[in-house]
Amino acid sequence: MNIGVETIPEILETQLMNMDHKYLSNPNIVDTNRIRGLWELMAGQRRIYLVAALSIGVASTLRAGTYYLIRYFVDDVLADESQHNQLPYIAFAFLAFALLQGLFTYISGRLAARTAENIVRQLRNYIYDHIQRLTFAYHDKTPTGELIQRTTSDIDAIRRFFSDQAIGFGRIILLFLVNFTALLLLSWRLALASVIVVPFVVALSYYFFNKISKAYEEYQQQEAVLSTTLQENLTGVRVVKAFARQEYEMEKFDRENWEKFLRGKHLFLIHSIYWPISDILVGTQMIAGLGLGALMVIDGALSIGSYLAFTGLIVWIIWPLRGLGRLIVQMSSGLVSFGRVREVLRVEREPLDEGIGIAIGGLVGKLEFEKIGFRYGDQAQILHDINFSVRPGMTVALLGATGSGKTTLVNLLPRFYEYTEGSLRLDGVELRDYSREALRQNIGIVAQEPFLFSRTIRENIVYGVGRDVTNREVEEAAQAAAMHDVILTFPEGYNTMVGERGVTLSGGQKQRIAIARTLLKDPRILIFDDSTSSVDPETEALIREALQKLMRGRTTFIIAHRVQSVQGADMILVLDRGQIVQSGNHAELMNEENIYRRIYELQTQVELELEREISGV
Amino acid sequence: MVFEFEFEEEDFTTQHNGKTLLRILSTAKPHWRWLIGFLLAISLISILDSYSTFITKRIIDEGILASDKNALRELILLYLGIMLFSSLGIFTFIYLASMLGERIQYDLRQNTFNHLQELSLTYYDRTPVGWIMSRVTSDAARVAELVTWGLLDITWGTISIISSVTFMIIINWKLGLLVFTIIPLLLIIAGRFKKVIITEYRKVRKLNSKITGAFNENISGVRAVKALRREERNLEEFSKLSTKMFESGFRAAWLSALFLPVVQIISALGLGIVAWYGGLQSGLGELSIGGLSAFIAYITFMLWPIQDMARVYAEMQQAIASAERIFSLIDSHPEITDRPGAFDPGTLRGDIKFENVDFFYQEDKPVLKNFTLHVRQGETVALVGPTGGGKSTIVNLLCRFYEPKSGRIMIGDHDYTSVSLQSIQSRIGMVLQSPHLFSGSIRENIRYGRLDATDEDVEKAAILTGADEFINEQEGGYDGEVGEGGNLLSVGQKQLISLARAVLAEPDLFIMDEATSSVDTITESLIQKGLSVLLENRTSFIIAHRLSTIKRADRIILIDDGRITEMGSHSELLKKKGHYYRLYTQQFRKKLEDELDPFALTTAASD
Repeated sequence: MNIGVETIPEILETQLMNMDHKYLSNPNIVDTNRIRGLWELMAGQRRIYLVAALSIGVASTLRAGTYYLIRYFVDDVLADESQHNQLPYIAFAFLAFALLQGLFTYISGRLAARTAENIVRQLRNYIYDHIQRLTFAYHDKTPTGELIQRTTSDIDAIRRFFSDQAIGFGRIILLFLVNFTALLLLSWRLALASVIVVPFVVALSYYFFNKISKAYEEYQQQEAVLSTTLQENLTGVRVVKAFARQEYEMEKFDRENWEKFLRGKHLFLIHSIYWPISDILVGTQMIAGLGLGALMVIDGALSIGSYLAFTGLIVWIIWPLRGLGRLIVQMSSGLVSFGRVREVLRVEREPLDEGIGIAIGGLVGKLEFEKIGFRYGDQAQILHDINFSVRPGMTVALLGATGSGKTTLVNLLPRFYEYTEGSLRLDGVELRDYSREALRQNIGIVAQEPFLFSRTIRENIVYGVGRDVTNREVEEAAQAAAMHDVILTFPEGYNTMVGERGVTLSGGQKQRIAIARTLLKDPRILIFDDSTSSVDPETEALIREALQKLMRGRTTFIIAHRVQSVQGADMILVLDRGQIVQSGNHAELMNEENIYRRIYELQTQVELELEREISGV
Repeated sequence: MVFEFEFEEEDFTTQHNGKTLLRILSTAKPHWRWLIGFLLAISLISILDSYSTFITKRIIDEGILASDKNALRELILLYLGIMLFSSLGIFTFIYLASMLGERIQYDLRQNTFNHLQELSLTYYDRTPVGWIMSRVTSDAARVAELVTWGLLDITWGTISIISSVTFMIIINWKLGLLVFTIIPLLLIIAGRFKKVIITEYRKVRKLNSKITGAFNENISGVRAVKALRREERNLEEFSKLSTKMFESGFRAAWLSALFLPVVQIISALGLGIVAWYGGLQSGLGELSIGGLSAFIAYITFMLWPIQDMARVYAEMQQAIASAERIFSLIDSHPEITDRPGAFDPGTLRGDIKFENVDFFYQEDKPVLKNFTLHVRQGETVALVGPTGGGKSTIVNLLCRFYEPKSGRIMIGDHDYTSVSLQSIQSRIGMVLQSPHLFSGSIRENIRYGRLDATDEDVEKAAILTGADEFINEQEGGYDGEVGEGGNLLSVGQKQLISLARAVLAEPDLFIMDEATSSVDTITESLIQKGLSVLLENRTSFIIAHRLSTIKRADRIILIDDGRITEMGSHSELLKKKGHYYRLYTQQFRKKLEDELDPFALTTAASD
C-alpha cells in the first residue's frame, strides 16, 4: 500500500520465511512449564516480536510527545505573540508525530500478526505431521473429535494469544509505563495522585472477567444444547411428522431457547454492572486529578500547558487498564489450550526410517513366525504362541471369530504394532530390524471398508504411489480391479470427487478402488480383509476376480470369516482367542476331526435346510 | 463437541436492501420499549460525553485562567454529577441492548423453528440440515447484532459527531466548520477500508474450514496414510495449505493493523489545522486556551465513533444477506397443507387404495407409474424389492409426507387429501430403518408415542415389545439417558424403543421400514415378539428385509421400477419360482450361515 511502510517490516519478514521447520523438536516446548514452553515456541521469532513490542513503546512515547508538544505550543508559542511565526512548524510537528505514531502502531500490529501467524503455521505443520507419525496404539485410544479440537480450536487460541492477547497486554503495560513516566516528569505529585485507583481497577476487572468468562461458558453450553435439539429435530423430521408431534417439539425447543435467553441475560447483566462501576472508579479518579491539577495551576505550581498535557496523558494511563482483567482471563485460557496441544506433542512418534532398507524388488516374501505374542502395554495378551512359516508367493487364510486376533496378527507385518514376544523373520532377517518405511512400502493392504480421501477417484488410486503415474496405468489398474466401467458412469469419470462433494461409493466399490490402488503400488506382500459385510453376490464375484489378479505371485494373507473364501488357500490358520488352533490346507483340515470340518459341514446343512423349506411350501 | 457449519457463503446481490432493512428493524417491534430505551440512553450518553469535554474547557477558562476556585469547585462537581449520571446510562444501554439482542435471537429462532415444523418433507429433501442449522444459529445472531449493537453504534457515532461539531461551532464557528469538512472524508475512507478488511477475513474463514477438513481427514484416515506411506507428501500438501492460510491470515491482520493509523493520520490533519489556524485565532483573542484544548480533545476522540460506524457499515451487507436467508426460510410455504374444508374422519380404519398413482421427486425421473393397490383393513403387507424401486415412496405417500402427482389414495371412503394432515399423521405408527431417538431418557423417548401416557403405560408397551428386559439392565433403567441421537444404545436397542414408542401410540395404521443391518439373534427374536403385538388387527405396511417378517405377512408385494412385479402369499410366490424365489433362497442361505456361525459354536465348545 505504502512503499515506505512496507519496506522496514518486509526486511524483517524475509528473515522469518527462512525459519528452520525443525525447531519444534526442541524438548523445552513440551518439557518445561507452559510459559517457558510458549517462549520456546517463539524461537527464532523472538527478536521480531520484541521489535513489535518496542514499536508499541515508541508509538506510546510519540503519543506522550504529542502532549509535550501541546505544552510547548500553549506555554511558549501561544503565550508569546513574537513566537507566532512558529505556528506552521507546530502544525507540521503535530502531523509528523501522528505519522510516526501511526507508522509504529502499524509496524507493531504487523509484526505481531506475522509472528503469531508464523508460529501457528509451523505449529500446524508440525502437529499435522506429528499425528500421522504416532502409533496405531495411540490412535486406537484417542477419539478423533478430541484430536481435531486440539489441532484446530486450541491452535487458534494459541494464535490469538500471540497476535492479540500478549501484545495487547504489552500495549497496556507500555502505555501505562510511558505515559506515567511522562506524567512524573511533568509533576511527580500529580502523577502519584492520579494512579491511586489503578490497583482497584485491575482487581475489579479481573474479578468481573472471571465471572464473565464463567457465565459465557454456560451460555455457550446452552448454545450447544440448543444446536443438538435443533439437529435432532431436523434429522428426525420423519418421526416428528409421523407422530404429529410438531407442537411438542416447539415447546421443547422453546424451553431450551428460553434458557439460552436467560443465560444471555445473566451474562450481559454482569457486563452491564461491570462497565459503569469501572467507569465511576476511573472517572472519579480522573476528575479528582483534573481538580487537583487545576488548583496547582491557580497556585502557580503548574503551567497551563503542563495542565493540558496532564489531562491528555491521564486518559492513556487509566482507561486502558479497564481491559486488563479481560486480557488476563483470556490469556489464561490460551495457556490451557497450549497445555492441551502440548499433551499431543509430548507423545512419542514412531521412527519410520530407523532400520534396514529394502531395495526395489529385493524382497522375496518368506516369513517365519516363532512363538509370537502380543499385548498392549500391560493389558491382556492378544496373541500368544503363534508359530508358522510362509513360503514366498503362498496364500495364507486366517479364519476366526471377531476378536480372535486375525487383524492384529497381520498388523504386525508392517510394524503397525510391535510383537512383544518371540521372533518373526522376513527373508531370514528379524522383522524389527527392518525400517517401518521399507516394510510399509512393500506391503499392500486392502481393508474391509477402505478409507478413501475426499479427492478425485484418480488421486485416490495413485494415493500410495510415490512416482508419476500415467493415465493409462491408472485405467489399467481400475480395469483389473473391475472398477473402470463403474468409474466411467460417474459424472466426471476419473476426476469425480469422492465423498460429500462428489459420489458416494458403496463398500464394494471402495474395496475395488483400494484394490486398484494396491495394484499400482505393486507390493510383495498383500493383506486382504475379506470379511465382506453386505456385498451382493455379483459384486462379490467381481471383487474375487480382481483379487485373483492382485494375488498373483505375491505372498498373501486373507482375513476371512467364512469357509467359502478360504478353500483355495495354500495354508489355512484357524484362530481362536489369539491362538492358532488348527493349520493346514483345505484337504488336510477336512481330514481332522476339529472345528474346520464342523464349520464346513454346517454348509451342507444349510443347503439341506433350504431344500426342506422350499419343498415344504 | 459443537460442530460449526461453514458453508460457502452465497453473496446476495439484492436490489431490495431497503425493504429487508425495514423488515430487520421490525424484528424489534414487539419490544420497542427496550429499543427506544437504549437509543435514548446512548443518545444521552453521547451528548453528555461531548458536554464533558466542554466542561473541561470551562474549567480551564472560567476556573484556572480566571483563578476562580469557587467556579472551579462548581464545575468539578458538575463534571462528577454528569459522570455518575452517564454511568446509569451505560448500565441502561448495555442491559437493554443486550436483552433486546438476546430476545430478538430467541424470537427469530423460535419463529424459524416453528415454521420448520410445518414445512413438508420436500423442503427437507432439497435443503441440507447444516444449511438450516446455520440459519437458525449464526444468521439469527447476525441479524440481532445489527438491530442492537449496529443501531447503537450508528446512533452513538452520529450523535457524538453532531454534538461534538455543535460544541466546536459554539466555541469557534470558523474553526468548527473547518474541522467538519474532514469528517465525510474520514467516514468514506474508513468505510471502504473496513469492507476490504472484512472480505479478507471471510477468505481466512474459508481457508480455516479447509484446514479443519484436512486435519479431520488426516486423523480419521491415519491408518490408510500409514499403510500407504503418504506422510511426506501429505505434509507437503498440508504445508501449502497452511502457508496459504498464513498469507491470508497475515494479510487480513496487517490490513486491520493499518486501519487505525490511517484514520488517525487523517484526523491529525485536523489537529494540524487547529494548531495553525487556532493559534492565529487565539492570538486574535477569538479562541481561548480552554477552547483550543477542547478542539484537540474533540478531534482526538472522534476516531472512535468513526471507526465503529465504518465497522457497522461494512458488516451491514452481511447482516442483510443473513436476514434474507432467514426470511426466505420463514417465507417458504409448506407444499402439503390441509385443503379448505379438511376434516377429521375420526379413524384411519378401513381399506386403503392406491388408484392409478403417479409420483416423481424430479420431473424427468418417474418413481411410481400408474400404481394401483388395494389393501384390506387389518392386512399386513410386506413390500420387497431392490433399493430405489419405489418401496419407500409408497410408504411416504401413504403418510402423506408427499402427495400423488396424479391418481388418488383412498383411506376408508375418503380421498385422503380431503381429510386433515393431523388426523392422518397422528394415527400412524412408524418404525424406521435407522430408528431416530431424541436426547433424554428412555422413558421420554417411548412416551413420545403418546404424550399423556402414564409410567405404567410406558412400561407396559416396553414389556409388550420385549424392550423391558434390556431397559432394566440399563444404568438408570427407564430414566437412563439415551445420549445424543440415542448413541448410547445399540441399533437393536434403539429399534426396540422405537417399537415400544409405536405400540404406545396405538396407531390405526402401522408402517415399518426394517433395518438391513442384522441385529443379533436374541434382539431379533425380541423384535419379532414386539412386532406380532403391533401387527395384530392393524393394517400394516412393512418394507421387509427379514425373512421372518416377510413370511408372516398376509401378502408380499415385489416392487421394482415403480411397479408391482409379483404379488401373493409366501407359498404362492415360492411356487412361482420367479424373482421372489431367487431373492428368498439367497437370503435364506445367508441367514442360515449367520445363524450357524461356526465361531459361536467353537466358543461354546471350548467353554
